[in-house]
Amino acid sequence: MIQKIDSPVSVKLVFDSKEKRVFPEEIIWNEKVYSIVKLGLHHTFKKGKVLYHAFSVTSKTLFFKLILNTETLHWNLEQIADEF
Amino acid sequence: MNFKNYINTNTLNLDFNPNPSFIMHLDINSCFATIEQQVNPFLRGKPLVVAAYDSPGGCVIAPSIEAKKIGIRVGMRVKDAKEIFPDVFVLTPDPWKYRSVHLALRKILLSYTNNLVAKSIDEFVLNLEGYPCLREKSIKDVAKEIKLRIREEIGEWMSVSVGISTNRFLAKLASSFHKPDGLDEININNYQKVYSGLKLTDLSGIKSRNAFRLNMMNIFSVLDFYNSPLWKLKASFKSINSYYWFLRLRGWEIDDFETSRKSYGNSYALPKPFKDLNKLSPILMKLVEKMSFRLRKANLKTQGIHLALYYRDGSFWHQGVKTSRVLFDTRDIYKEMLRLLGLSYLGKPVREISVSCFNLVKAKSSQLEFFDDVLKKEKLTESIDEINNRWGEFVVYLAKMVNTKDYVPDRIAFGGVKELEEFTLE
Repeated sequence: MIQKIDSPVSVKLVFDSKEKRVFPEEIIWNEKVYSIVKLGLHHTFKKGKVLYHAFSVTSKTLFFKLILNTETLHWNLEQIADEF
Repeated sequence: MNFKNYINTNTLNLDFNPNPSFIMHLDINSCFATIEQQVNPFLRGKPLVVAAYDSPGGCVIAPSIEAKKIGIRVGMRVKDAKEIFPDVFVLTPDPWKYRSVHLALRKILLSYTNNLVAKSIDEFVLNLEGYPCLREKSIKDVAKEIKLRIREEIGEWMSVSVGISTNRFLAKLASSFHKPDGLDEININNYQKVYSGLKLTDLSGIKSRNAFRLNMMNIFSVLDFYNSPLWKLKASFKSINSYYWFLRLRGWEIDDFETSRKSYGNSYALPKPFKDLNKLSPILMKLVEKMSFRLRKANLKTQGIHLALYYRDGSFWHQGVKTSRVLFDTRDIYKEMLRLLGLSYLGKPVREISVSCFNLVKAKSSQLEFFDDVLKKEKLTESIDEINNRWGEFVVYLAKMVNTKDYVPDRIAFGGVKELEEFTLE
């Protein structure tokens, strides 16, 4: 089941300079730590002039849609879903 | 080599194009649904649909490959899909995901050729003639490499069907043979075998009426169609189409033209069947605002508007008018549209509203008017557009639209590629 969230979230983002790859390794939400095991899709969109990066990722049991506002560099959790 | 070299003086004995295949047609399989499965691995391998709305009456716009296998089709209602498979997962569209994948795919394809046309959000046509990628590899190997790169660079769940031939029509036809993830070619060596396995209505552009026309001339199969002389096709179609089909089936190019933009339009399928003017007019204004914002962004104005209404009972009404004044301001275009709406069958529940403008003109200096301060209006619309450009659409909007927040969401036009130009070029 997919649930809309819209809540600030802490994200540990890693940049691998050799692979030129960006990966959200860990998130902390509701005082729980989730290790990210898979990046489904990374895409971008704009609202006005502000560029957002969307990372669709999964931990072992949950799906998260994380949004990075490139103007504030703040992260927001937009969606979660469990295994169906 | 041009087909004219192969054509006899009476144009009746044109053979199949003997040139190597340079045209490649790429089609993302079950595009929106596959992208959703790429995004969320928990959805992979499961029947899901992307629908305009997730309510029972919502129209299915993209079933996943698994949903197609159990009989769920594009155009079905969500409730019908649920009747086939009660646990089918229903998602609403997320256009930016799909645009993003389209752009990523375009980037990969541009590394092979500049001669590239996006036919829609999920379809590309490439012409590889003369490009270096074919020096060391066959076109089939290039297609295999593209498939691999899509999996590596966009996502491992993404698959495309590829068709290869000497013209766009046959390349598209070939791409439909083995879905998903197919790779097929139609060329001089196999066209007879391929045609013998097809029905007339398997050809894109031949539906029951055209098939009937052909049947009237004793053309019942694609091979009959291919073997028919031009005079017979002329007698069937009674138009230039006969000649186009004559060339298409022989692998000669006739579809490589691109039309320039002649109009801007937006449409919206209503979530409820509204029938009175008070309910319809704010939605009409929002559609007009979306359309005119795009029009002004392209530095254009309009001298023609068109309104179309699709009713719940299946009927249809539309009217277009050329305007005496050049229009650019949402309020002026809305006034004209409202006038047209007043001429429609008010009182009948409306299913879909569609607005468009035509007779486009470059937005150079404006014709001043006696009673209206055009320059002031221009400055006001420019300022509002600038604010909305900076902070996001509908940050500043007309009061009439105050309760329309949930109406007319961002969507990708069916089969349309013109809107893709707008975000691709940004």
